[in-house]
Amino acid sequence: MASLGTFLLLAAFVTCSYAAVVSVAGARRRSRQLIESGIGAFYLICAIMTAASAVLINAFLTGDFSIKYVVHYSDSVQPLLYKLTSYWGGLDGSIMFWVFLLSIFGSLAVYVNRERHRELIPYVVATISAVQMFFLFLMVAHKNPFTTYLTAAPTEGEGLNPLLQNFYMAIHPPSLYTGFVGMTIPFAFGIAALITGHLDDSWLRAVRRWTMFSWLFLSFGLTLGMIWAYEELGWGGYWAWDPVENAALLPWFTATAFLHSVMVQERRSMLRVWNVTLVIVTFFLTIFGTFMTRSGVVQSVHAFGDDPILARLFIGFMVTILVFSFGLVIWRLPLLKARNELDSWLSREAAFLVNNWVMLFAALFVLFGTMFPTLSEAVTGTRLTVAGPFFNKWMTPVGLILLMLTGVGPLLAWRRSSFSNIAPQFMWPVAAGVAAAGLAIGYFKIPFWPSGLCFALCGFVVGTIGQEFYKGAAIRSRNTGTDLFTALVGLVGKNKRRYGGYIVHVGIVLICFGFAGNARKLDEQVLLKLGATTQIGKYTLKSNGVKVIDDGQKQMTTAYIAVFVDGKEIDGLYPAQWRYRRHEQEPTTEVAIRRTPAEDLYAVLGGFDLADQSVTLQLVVNPLVNWIWVGFGIMALGTGIALLPERSFAFALAKMPAEAAATTVALLFIVLLSSGATLSAQAGMGGDANTRTSFYPRTPFEKQMQHEIVCTCGACGHQTLAECRKDNCATSHEMRGQLAALIDSGVTDHDKIIQAFIAKYGTEEMLGAPVDQGFSRLAWLFPYLVGATSAIAVGFAAVKWSRHADAPAAAPAPLDSALEERIDDELRDLD
Amino acid sequence: MTHRYIKLGLTATVLVLAFAGLMWSTLQDGTEYFKHVDEVMVNPTAWEGKPLQLHGYVVPGSIMKRQDTLEYKFKVQNNPIRDVNQGHVVEASYTGIVPDTFKGEAEVVLRGKLTTSGFHTEPNGVVAKCPSKYQEKASAGS
Repeated sequence: MASLGTFLLLAAFVTCSYAAVVSVAGARRRSRQLIESGIGAFYLICAIMTAASAVLINAFLTGDFSIKYVVHYSDSVQPLLYKLTSYWGGLDGSIMFWVFLLSIFGSLAVYVNRERHRELIPYVVATISAVQMFFLFLMVAHKNPFTTYLTAAPTEGEGLNPLLQNFYMAIHPPSLYTGFVGMTIPFAFGIAALITGHLDDSWLRAVRRWTMFSWLFLSFGLTLGMIWAYEELGWGGYWAWDPVENAALLPWFTATAFLHSVMVQERRSMLRVWNVTLVIVTFFLTIFGTFMTRSGVVQSVHAFGDDPILARLFIGFMVTILVFSFGLVIWRLPLLKARNELDSWLSREAAFLVNNWVMLFAALFVLFGTMFPTLSEAVTGTRLTVAGPFFNKWMTPVGLILLMLTGVGPLLAWRRSSFSNIAPQFMWPVAAGVAAAGLAIGYFKIPFWPSGLCFALCGFVVGTIGQEFYKGAAIRSRNTGTDLFTALVGLVGKNKRRYGGYIVHVGIVLICFGFAGNARKLDEQVLLKLGATTQIGKYTLKSNGVKVIDDGQKQMTTAYIAVFVDGKEIDGLYPAQWRYRRHEQEPTTEVAIRRTPAEDLYAVLGGFDLADQSVTLQLVVNPLVNWIWVGFGIMALGTGIALLPERSFAFALAKMPAEAAATTVALLFIVLLSSGATLSAQAGMGGDANTRTSFYPRTPFEKQMQHEIVCTCGACGHQTLAECRKDNCATSHEMRGQLAALIDSGVTDHDKIIQAFIAKYGTEEMLGAPVDQGFSRLAWLFPYLVGATSAIAVGFAAVKWSRHADAPAAAPAPLDSALEERIDDELRDLD
Repeated sequence: MTHRYIKLGLTATVLVLAFAGLMWSTLQDGTEYFKHVDEVMVNPTAWEGKPLQLHGYVVPGSIMKRQDTLEYKFKVQNNPIRDVNQGHVVEASYTGIVPDTFKGEAEVVLRGKLTTSGFHTEPNGVVAKCPSKYQEKASAGS
């Protein structure tokens, strides 16, 4: 299988080169056939990558330990979900996943736009293929996930890093990659527009949605990363200006800037160079971020280690991107001239411009701070590092300025505003801001800088957005004669991008609101003896000791902490440390969090002494932190509204509000449920207190038997005794015990043991054969299904491709000769 | 037109200067020196009181914890334990929860200040790298 994988990667590389070359040739010769052939090859890459992914996933599912990558990032006891996520658990696989996603997105983007933007498509195909070629080359030449052992392969894997065996970690990387990879599409269209000279606003329309979509996933990925850090790393915070987090934040800033400045170009035909530059820079930053974190240039907790070859390859690629893209921009400067000038600094476009500058500044600053240790080492020879406080000192005012602009922008008119007509506009928002400030500073005694100011600005922005919605709805209700609520819905439907954007702003406000809660954060480290109490905030905590449980995959040490408020016991906290097998040296901390809208009580088990039952705890009170996650939910909702296709609304106008409301509720539910689930998982675990061992196989024979006999508990989907360990399953535990007892009593004949089990349970339910049943069968079938699908897709693409190849041969003559002449003229002018 | 460029130029200069000044002043108290034990202990007096990130390896058996408190005292040496030559050794102190990976032989980075009585680690200032199984094996294997 491994050689098939390597072959597929090579095939993908060759197909990519073909697609790139043929597309450019086709575009230059204006040959329909060549262009169609390039597009066909482009779809084919997608099919090949799907097949390659299926091979890798299959290797993980079947535990093919002859492949190094599988050995390094999985083992046989790993739950199914994490076997799948091991795909992107390491560097090699994540590069492959990147190409896989890019091939899907690229095919989609080309398919959707192949008619509307026909002139751009060949260069879009060429650009994306070139990017894919780079990553494929990286894999084929240097980081092949299908590398096998030359000599004897190990029989068991090393297991995925325990820290990554977390639900959020399973979905965080794909989300972030979706965002990263999605940014390649706008870049490809931008480059195509630059090359062809079709620099009117049409290419922007093609990429606006892609940028929004990628931006949403980037935001989602960042949020998931924060939740993961908060729940899994256990230091009480969610953002530490870690290089890898920063790498994802950089393109987020520039993409956000682009989403705003694109409106200025659409409205006023200004900022054209700026927009192209932002698209290029955003793409560059996604590559740079990957380079920064994956080559070990900046050391961080996530980095995959030093790799000079990788670093050199990446640097070459990045230099090429910069020289090529900006070379094109400079060449096309005459065509990129703005058609208008800024009329006044008191206008909405000026507000957008300032927003863009601040966003770009933020990106450059974070870049500078992240690279500072490397830079200082290169320049002075001494490695100087900057830490969180330095970032916070700068980014706090930057964030506050952006928050303020969020409120100011919508209040200004396009072109120019006068002081006399903005005064009534600003009245209510400012009043809301002052009220929020009064409440925060006056009543809650929060210091003015920076949290008090942040609350005030939150009030101001909410005031602005509320006023915008109210005014728009009032006018619409007067014009259409409907009630205010219907008018409000109609308003949003009429102008989804604008009002969706406002809803995104509400999400941003909530996120800032959550950030500002940090002002009241409490953080303590205590050592508690059995029965001793401690105080943090309004809570009194009492230690009820430590217990150890083993579930087979890991050993769990849990502290039992009772929480009192005003002398009444209100809850229990069960912070734990888990030691995974083969990762005993790297215990993971399982944080216990008591969530409320007002504040979280957060406990980490830092250390314990089983002899005297004393525990060391880190306790944190995090006010308002949950509003960050809720804010993201609202942001996603707003982006969703803005992303809805224009025509969908025409008939769905009346239905829309119900769906939107349902979506909000669903999103909020997901956020709350997922948090609730972890909480209850903690609580449930706390309840099960008896310590047990779990009958690991002692001999190869026992291991074989454990793999042949299926657990009868009915809840695990017929996993084998060796696998059904993760849920503290009492049945499989008992059955493993019986097996061990049988073997101990001297029964070493395979069939006799089977007979004994059948006799005991009266059915053949626990036999090895039924493994291939139900959910497991689905899991085993999955890779083959995917493989078959992609094989069909390859065939389909090939057929379609060949058909297209001769179809245009029949009809080349009628191809609008006037148009062709015009194009010729234009091309001559350009050359 | 020239008038406009002068105005633009002046504004830009002022902005850049103000920015550079701010950056300089915040960098002054925002940065920490990343140093190995040897680099510092060659001339300890020169480094006393400066914000440092000290890189070294915990001397096995040197970790002492005061009963029923979170006060730790331990020694850090410049070179990995398997080396014959240990390099300079410095005494360090810390109060708080230590990471799970903090133990003898562990590679550590301590954030804090050097004083005459040894290295004083600030709260949450211990970063211990585990002797990473993944990376060593990964690089040896590939």
